[in-house]
Amino acid sequence: MLQGVKNQLNVTIKTIKYGLMREMINKTSFIMNVIFMILNNASFIIQWIVIYSLKEDVGGYTFNQILLLWAIAASTYGFSHFIFKKAYSLSDLITNGKLDSFLVQPKNVLLACITTDIEVSALGDLLYGYIVLIISGITVSKFILFTFFSITGAIIITDIAVLLGSLSFWIGRSDMIADTGNNLMINFSTYPDGIFKGAARILLLTVIPVGLTAYFPVWIMTKFNFKLTFVIIVITVILTLVTFVIFYRGLRRYSSSNLMISKI
Amino acid sequence: MSVISVKHLTKTFKIKEKKKGFSGSISAIFKPIYKEVKAVNDISFEVEEGEIIAFIGPNGAGKSTTIKMLTGILYPDSGEINVLGINPTRERKKLAYEIGTVFGQKEQLWMHLTAYDNFKFFGAIYDITEKETEKRIEELSKLFDLEKFINIPVRNLSLGQRIRCEIVASLIHKPKILFLDEPTIGLDPVVKESIRKLIKKMNKEYRTTIFLTSHDISDIEKLCKRVVIINDGKIVMDDSMSNLKYHYMDKKVIEVKLNTKVNFSNTKGINILKEKENRLRIEIDTKQTDLTTVLKLINPENIMDINISNIPLEEIIAQIYRKG
Repeated sequence: MLQGVKNQLNVTIKTIKYGLMREMINKTSFIMNVIFMILNNASFIIQWIVIYSLKEDVGGYTFNQILLLWAIAASTYGFSHFIFKKAYSLSDLITNGKLDSFLVQPKNVLLACITTDIEVSALGDLLYGYIVLIISGITVSKFILFTFFSITGAIIITDIAVLLGSLSFWIGRSDMIADTGNNLMINFSTYPDGIFKGAARILLLTVIPVGLTAYFPVWIMTKFNFKLTFVIIVITVILTLVTFVIFYRGLRRYSSSNLMISKI
Repeated sequence: MSVISVKHLTKTFKIKEKKKGFSGSISAIFKPIYKEVKAVNDISFEVEEGEIIAFIGPNGAGKSTTIKMLTGILYPDSGEINVLGINPTRERKKLAYEIGTVFGQKEQLWMHLTAYDNFKFFGAIYDITEKETEKRIEELSKLFDLEKFINIPVRNLSLGQRIRCEIVASLIHKPKILFLDEPTIGLDPVVKESIRKLIKKMNKEYRTTIFLTSHDISDIEKLCKRVVIINDGKIVMDDSMSNLKYHYMDKKVIEVKLNTKVNFSNTKGINILKEKENRLRIEIDTKQTDLTTVLKLINPENIMDINISNIPLEEIIAQIYRKG
């Protein structure tokens, strides 16, 4: 069992390594992708600088907390899209029969297919998160918590992407539903939760789990809360288990295809 | 010893049907119509260790669906599959260590990496140590003559070189059975011939059982001793290659150039395939009329040129497809 986990981990790390090797063939494009993503994200902070020059408090967040929110949103997105890029095009893999080559390998199909490609620009998001963290004032505990919540957040948004993509096993193409759901998570996670009231707020803290990926981490990094940290860990584990179960249930309905396919 | 055993295997696909045009698309939203297609319909067969078996049939006959069920890609609706004592549905991962697959239409290699890096990655997938992988790459690159292009990115290789690399990648873990789904698709005759030689060599050296599907009759004729023909999801023939040819030996094709025309209308067992001026192509059923009678009827002095041959295997198989 342990050896199996070790081997699986080894292959997943190798897949990411080979993904990087592939992308690094085009050195200039690789570096430019990362740099431009950092610059693109930086432009949004300017808007917040303007807003905070007019107002001291937005939705109960100080400017430093907004920086933290942006940092965690960017690095969560970066982690997930960099390592699990294909989770965001799972619908295409399923409906066009592209899972065959993963199914004949003696490894976990879900992990193998979602890690088979990396998104270089997401490395820019990831780095941007840490740059903003430094600007907002970094401490050792903040760095550890930030890294930890970036990982749990990345796992949660990847789980959601896989769940929405897995709908394709039952309803055919689900790419539009998945794209809408994934974008919803990202868009909401860059605004302070205090500006949302009533049903919208409840939704964000439950069905659309932006609370788990962005708001709670900012609250915890501002003032440590063990209970909330525990809730994030438990929900991450449960959601991941549910994701694997749903994906493997769906896999029984997989019908492959005879399309000419190449692995890029 | 049987390495593959299939009993009463069935697989049905539910396909959405749509009426013509835009109005058809609208009605399909509110009232979808589904059609059930039996891709594989109650088939049973066994494959012995070390055999090279051809599993052939026309497009849509159920070949790929069967291979996909044997390799654990698809779940069957009913029936039993046993590959090397393993049930592919329940123990997909365990089976993957024992089998290799090459899908001519689906690449398994990463196009931007070199063949060597791809092989190293496949070694890791099958939990083979670095040292062992290196040894295996060296051995296989000699056997498949890859030394000249092993360090070139796969996207820059010719189709023939790429297919050779695909086969090597599927052999890294020393599989006991290799599933080849149209491995020579799109290749030129010279490369096809070299791939066939390599498959034969591999079968001889490692005693790998080979399960082959191909539309290229030469692949089947040159590689396989046994042929299973599937049509409309059912096995219509399971026989040795020699038997297949023997059963159709009673039919001959004569191509002849004559001085004067001959009338065959009163002779049984003769089918005129083509007639143009003084050239004639006829098929003779020797069970009904022997060759001597036909030659006498033509009259040897009337013959300017003649060629007598067996029916090509391609034609034999096409006839079986049509009957099926």
